[in-house]
Amino acid sequence: MKSIVLSSVVTALLVLSGCSTKEPAVDTKEEVVKPVVVEKVKEVETEVVSNEDSMVDSSSNDSTTLSMSDIESQLPTIYFAFDKFDITPDMQERITSAAELGKTGAMDYKVKLEGNCDEWGSDEYNFALGLKRADAVKKAFVAEGIDGSRISMVSYGESNPVCSDKTQSCWSKNRRVDFKLLP
Amino acid sequence: MKIILILLMLFGLSHANDATIEVIKKADSLPSLAVEDASISYDDTFKLQFFKALIADLNVISIFNVERFHRVTHYNATDVLVENIDMAYVLRYKMFEDDNGALNVEMKMLVEGKDVFSKNYKVSRRNIYMFIAHAIAYDINKFMGEPSVEWMKRKVIFSRIVGPKESEIVISDYSLSYQQVVVSGGFNVFPKWANNAQNAFYYTSLDSNVPTLKHLDLKTVKVKKIISSDGMMVCSDVSADSNTLLLTMAKNGQPDVYTYNLTTKKYKRETSYGGIDVNAQFMDKNKIIFISSRLGYPNVFSKDLKTNAVEQLVFYGKSNSACSSNGEYIVYKARESSNAFSKNTFNLHLISMKTDFIRRLTATGINEFPRFSKDGDAILFIKNYKEQSSIGIIRLNHNKNYLFPLKYGRVQSMDW
Repeated sequence: MKSIVLSSVVTALLVLSGCSTKEPAVDTKEEVVKPVVVEKVKEVETEVVSNEDSMVDSSSNDSTTLSMSDIESQLPTIYFAFDKFDITPDMQERITSAAELGKTGAMDYKVKLEGNCDEWGSDEYNFALGLKRADAVKKAFVAEGIDGSRISMVSYGESNPVCSDKTQSCWSKNRRVDFKLLP
Repeated sequence: MKIILILLMLFGLSHANDATIEVIKKADSLPSLAVEDASISYDDTFKLQFFKALIADLNVISIFNVERFHRVTHYNATDVLVENIDMAYVLRYKMFEDDNGALNVEMKMLVEGKDVFSKNYKVSRRNIYMFIAHAIAYDINKFMGEPSVEWMKRKVIFSRIVGPKESEIVISDYSLSYQQVVVSGGFNVFPKWANNAQNAFYYTSLDSNVPTLKHLDLKTVKVKKIISSDGMMVCSDVSADSNTLLLTMAKNGQPDVYTYNLTTKKYKRETSYGGIDVNAQFMDKNKIIFISSRLGYPNVFSKDLKTNAVEQLVFYGKSNSACSSNGEYIVYKARESSNAFSKNTFNLHLISMKTDFIRRLTATGINEFPRFSKDGDAILFIKNYKEQSSIGIIRLNHNKNYLFPLKYGRVQSMDW
């Protein structure tokens, strides 16, 4: 009787230990019900801006005043590491130069910071990550002396890529914060 | 001795219905079913289209080995076709157009030549034929005494990215055969059904300077603004009584989970960690599940709304940035590859809060945005693989996955 009890306990332990594995069971069975021809997303259209649009505002008496789009084109892009939202030293330099512009040529405009992510994941977390990147730039911008009330933020997650190749360099271009000016 | 045996039996019984344990593949033991087409209206192309939709649905209910040959017969023929004599079940249907142009379908199930179940269906327009196919599969599943596949008849709503900062919100059936664009132009994301009747939905509009949550009533086609927040605004879940929303808002650039009462129009901050807190969903009236970066990487947590107690729920996976729960089960997305980029794979995993078991539900590509059906029978998810975006269905108790590819664009988020 004792041996039966002992062997039962051993069996139970074996069963229990067998079940405690953390290795996930893999289900590789996938059935494509309705195969269809893949159509690529439309290419991004590039609009050629006419010379008139890019000229210095002729209504201004001050010939050195730049238009909003001219100043915007001088603002840098701030890039980030994978899954990170902290500002690296080289990006800090870019923010400092942007802040100088914010205090001079762009001082009459509001600033909108647009946070973006690479393509890894289209969930809420990615949108929040883009926002934390924008917020990190905002804090650095404020530390450089820019009034926080001039700054608004938005995140586009992975939905606003500038590059769509499947390469590391391309993904790194998409992990960014863009400066936009608002009147 | 008896006690040990009883304990062993109890252990076995308690784990017998655990969905985290891979079920035994029983495809070979499923009864066979053939489908006979006895339609009298419509051209051959449409007849074949309906037949394929029905076959797909009968496969998804996962209780038959379905014969895929399109065979034609007469609805009142006394015998099944000679090719189908050995089939356990024969489903025969007749499509015909009535004087009003409506599509009618008569259907009957035959077992050994006897009519065991029959029903008629009708839709006003033939281009929504897939809903009849879904209804037939639903009814047959019910007739066979299987757990409900109510989700099959529910509508799916999703946001489709069609260009940089450009999206469409689409209402479809679960198989994406039927698609109706309800919001186009601009950048609108994260659609979420506003109620169980699925006659209204919330979505985030990113067109203005401040992200804004909007509500669209499908009956009146009226859009109203609900609430705005600088930086981020997402409706992650709607309570069972449709009165409370779980929002991710970012007051001062800090993404946190908020509850929003639609009656009082007041919100309450539910999380206050300095990193990222998002993707909250109700587990029950007073408990939520959400994603937080409070460990330094995204992972799944729960919070008791009354006591404010926060608990880590998942202990496996590198970057668990999306989740859904149903009863004791949690499905979540985890990054599989150790390298951040090479062959990056995100898979869905199922855990039970009562056991240590983990079941991986997908194997390739980027699998994300898991959402349990209300009855917990199935999981809907987004799969991006080789530049194609699909909506997938996982039948947990049948150990099967089905994919429905999108013709163009990329699914950003969805709800059902």
